[in-house]
Amino acid sequence: MKHLMLALLLPAALFSAAPVDAGNAERGREKSAICQACHGVDGNGIGMDMYPILAGQFPDYLAHAMRAYKTGEREDVVMRGFAAPLSEQDIKDLAAWYGSQKGPLADLSHFK
Amino acid sequence: MNPKSFIFAAIAALAAVPAMAVDIDAGRQLTYTCTGCHGVTGYKNAYPNYKVPLVAGQNKEYLVIALNAYKNGLRKHPTMRAQGEGLTDSEIEQIATYLADLRTQEAQ
Repeated sequence: MKHLMLALLLPAALFSAAPVDAGNAERGREKSAICQACHGVDGNGIGMDMYPILAGQFPDYLAHAMRAYKTGEREDVVMRGFAAPLSEQDIKDLAAWYGSQKGPLADLSHFK
Repeated sequence: MNPKSFIFAAIAALAAVPAMAVDIDAGRQLTYTCTGCHGVTGYKNAYPNYKVPLVAGQNKEYLVIALNAYKNGLRKHPTMRAQGEGLTDSEIEQIATYLADLRTQEAQ
């Protein structure tokens, strides 16, 4: 009985201690339906130059950007609307998905 | 096309090529400052901690919008605000053109 209680309570304790786990790219892909309209399925866009390429961008930067749109730290009417309903888990999953895709982005270390 | 307008078009086409080249070169010089953060592989922003974004190969119009957002205060990052405030519209255009063009070089 004691073991049963422990077995029931331990997962609950784990979940409440860590409600957000590391981003999962596959879950991110599933959540990215709305994003795809402008950013494309894999984050390489839809041929519209005004939208950023997300494919291969650093996941932690993508997450930072989504949080900034959500809180309004970045003032952007369109992105604020899309970021507002995202949970911290959604943000990490989406960042993991787009960050893991292949794209043309690079840092400037090769171009000095 | 009559000869006169043909000559005009030819001159205009020739003039357009060097102007483009100058643009890219100016952009390269202007991005020297950017390399201090965006040219250090894996360089991280502090508080909050995240890697500074990859900007080479990014879409040109997006880069123009982003740099203007820093310049106008729609984006609050202090270092990027300071950079943006010092840039004219044409400098932003040149930087964005240069950075977007790096994609082509990488692919070649």
